[in-house]
Amino acid sequence: MSEYIPRYQGSVTKYIFVESPEMTPQDLAVRAYEISGGSMIKETCFGLQVTGTAEDVEKIIEALRLLDPDHIFVKDRGFPPGDPRRCRANLGGARPGFFGHEFEISLIRHVSHGLHKLPERDTQSISHPPSPGPEEKLNISKLKMLIDAQEP
Amino acid sequence: MTTPVRIAQLSCGPEYSGVQKEIDEAAKAVDAEIFYPDISLADIKRDFNAFGLDVRSPDLKLAIARAKALVEGRVEADAVFIATCFRCAEAAIVRNELRRYIHENSKLPVVSYSFTERTTAGTLLTRMEALTTIARRRALLARETQVGLTLGLDSGSSTTKAVVMRDNKIIGTGWLPTTDVLESANAVIQLALDMAGVKREELQAVGTTGYGRFLVGEKIKADLIQEELTVNSKGAVFLADCQHGPSTVIDIGGMDNKAISVQDGIPGTFTMGGICAGASGRFLEMTAKRLGVDITELGPLALRGMSAQVAMNSYCIVFGTQSLVNALAAGSSKEDVAAAACHSVAEQVFEQQLQEVDIREPVIMVGGTSLIKGLVFAMGELLQTEIVVPPYSQYIGAVGSALLSSGFIMEK
Amino acid sequence: MAKVFIYPATSLILSDLVARFGHTPLSAAQSIREHIQTAGLESPPLQISPEDPKKGLKYAAVEVPSGVRGRMSLYGPMIEDADAGIIIHDADFAFGCMGCARTNELIIFLVKKRNIPVLELNYPKNDEEGAEFVAAIRDFLVGLGREK
Repeated sequence: MSEYIPRYQGSVTKYIFVESPEMTPQDLAVRAYEISGGSMIKETCFGLQVTGTAEDVEKIIEALRLLDPDHIFVKDRGFPPGDPRRCRANLGGARPGFFGHEFEISLIRHVSHGLHKLPERDTQSISHPPSPGPEEKLNISKLKMLIDAQEP
Repeated sequence: MTTPVRIAQLSCGPEYSGVQKEIDEAAKAVDAEIFYPDISLADIKRDFNAFGLDVRSPDLKLAIARAKALVEGRVEADAVFIATCFRCAEAAIVRNELRRYIHENSKLPVVSYSFTERTTAGTLLTRMEALTTIARRRALLARETQVGLTLGLDSGSSTTKAVVMRDNKIIGTGWLPTTDVLESANAVIQLALDMAGVKREELQAVGTTGYGRFLVGEKIKADLIQEELTVNSKGAVFLADCQHGPSTVIDIGGMDNKAISVQDGIPGTFTMGGICAGASGRFLEMTAKRLGVDITELGPLALRGMSAQVAMNSYCIVFGTQSLVNALAAGSSKEDVAAAACHSVAEQVFEQQLQEVDIREPVIMVGGTSLIKGLVFAMGELLQTEIVVPPYSQYIGAVGSALLSSGFIMEK
Repeated sequence: MAKVFIYPATSLILSDLVARFGHTPLSAAQSIREHIQTAGLESPPLQISPEDPKKGLKYAAVEVPSGVRGRMSLYGPMIEDADAGIIIHDADFAFGCMGCARTNELIIFLVKKRNIPVLELNYPKNDEEGAEFVAAIRDFLVGLGREK
C-alpha cells in the first residue's frame, strides 16, 4: 500500500446551490468571484463550490446568501472540487451523493416557500407537521359502511 | 496494447468497507477498468419500481437501476461485477437476482462477490481474469464442435493430462502425476499421441490450460493458452452433451475447487478457491493413504459406508485427518470413515462455495475427484439431484483445450 | 450553538436550515473530509481503509456486514457528540453515505437512544407542508438555543 498525502489540508469546501426564479448560477458566480479573496471558487451546474479556510468560506457564504436568501442553500462537502476520486469523468457515472442532491432539489421550492412565509406569518399560526408514525388504519365500522354502500 | 475491458460495477458497501481500491487494482491487473453506469434519479425511480424487488437500501436500488440500464443497452459495458457486503441478507438477495437477471437478459458476463474488509486484489484477480477472458473471447468460446486434429493439455497441480481429438472425437489420452511441469507435459503428450496413432507434427492446433499453462504453452507453441474456468466449462458441457441451456460444473481439484454456473457453454457466474485443503482432493488422497487403500478404491469403499457413523466436522486438513484417526481407533469401519471423508469434502464445497452460484441442473462433476464415487454420491445427496459424471471427466481441461484450440485451425 | 445531527446525514436541506438558524449541522461530509485530509495509507476513493470497519465494531458486532461497520465508524462518534437531532423519515433516495438501510436503521435508533431533543419529520410535498416543515425546524432550533 502506498502512502497517502492529503491535499488542501485544513481547508473547508462547501456547496452553494441556487434554485431561484430570479438568479442563475452564473449570477451567483459573478458575485462570488468579486468577494472570493484567497478562496477558490468553482462553478457547477447547480451553483458553486467554495474552498478556503473555514472563516473565509463562511464570510463568502454570508455575503452570497444576501443575494436571494430564500433560494440559496449551503452544505458541506468532504472532497475538494474536481477531485479525481469523485469526478464523473473518471467514474463513468455520477457519484452516489449526486442523486441525493437531485432528489432534494426537486422539492426545495417548497422549502423556499416555507422560508419566504416565515417572517410574514406568526410561526405560532403555522401548524407543525405531524410526527411520522405508522399510517392510520381505516376504522372497521367505516369499512363496514363502505362495503354496505357497494351492495347492489 | 488492447482496449481495456470495461467492467460495470454494481455494488453496495465496498467504499465503506475499505476494499474499493482492491477491486480497482484487480481490474487494472487484467487490463480492465471499473466504471459506474451513468443514470439519473428519474431512471432510478422508474427502473427500481419496474424491477419489482422492493429493497430498502438506496445503494441497492441504484444497483438495480444500473443493471437495467446495462441490460436495456442504455449504457454499454463489456462485463459486470456485482459486489456487496458478506453477511448482508438484503444485498445477497439483490446480488443473486441481478446476476440472474443480467445473465438471462443479456450477453454480458457477470461475476458476483461478497466481500469483507479483508478482501484483497489477489482474491479478486482470477475472477476478473475469467471475466475479461469471457468478454474478450466470446466468439472463440461459442465453438461447439471440434474439427481437424488437435491436442489439449491440462497442466494441473496434482496431475497432468493430455487429449488428442479428431473430428469431434477423443482418439488418445495421457495421464500422469505432475512432477517436473515440462517433463510431465511432454510425457503425457507422447502417451496421448501414441494412443491416437498420430505424430506430433500432424497436429493442427494445440491448447493448454491449468497452473502450468503459460510455461508449457510457450514451450510447445500452443495456439491457445487459457485459464481453466472457461476451458473446463466448455469441456464439461461438451462431454455431458448439454451445450445449450443452463448447467452447473463442479470441479473439486487437488488444490482448489471451482463451481461454475454455465449458460450455453459459457461461464456466467463462478466461485473459485476453498477455505482449506480439508475441502480438496488432497484430503481424500490422505484419507486413502491412512486407510491403506489406493485412491481408486476409496470411492467404492465409501459407497458401502455410512458417513453419519463418524463425527467429522472440521474444515482443516490436519484436524480432519485427526478425526479420522480417532474414529479408526474407536473401532469405526474403513467404509464408514471413507464415507465420512467424502461427505466432509462435499459438505464444505456445498457450504462454502455452492451458495455463491445458482445450482441449475444438470450438475456436472468433473476432474479427477469425480471418479471417486463416494464423493459424487455425497454431493448428490447434499444437492438433492443426480450428478452427471461424463466420460473422460478427469480429462476435462484437456478436452476443453483441444476443442477450443480447433478454432485456430482456420486462422493458420 | 448546538451540534445537531441530521438524518439523512447527506441532506442539503437540513444542513442549510440548521446552519441558517444558527447551529452546527453534523453531517456525513464533515466525517468524509476528516478522512480525506488525514495522511495515512492510500485507500481511494473515500480514504476509508479496512481499519475503519474494525473501528465500527464499537457500534455493531463482528457478524454485522463490513459496510455497516465502516459507515458506523463515520456516524457513531458524531451521534455521540450531538446535542440534538433532526430526522426525516421518508429519505428513500439518499445514496452513498446513506446508501445502506441497515446502517440507517441503526443510526436512527442510536440517535433516539441518546435521549437528546429529536425532531422527526417527513419531506414537504407541497408549499403548505413546506411552510410547516420550515417553521417546525426553526422552532425546534430556537428552542435548542434557549436550553443551551
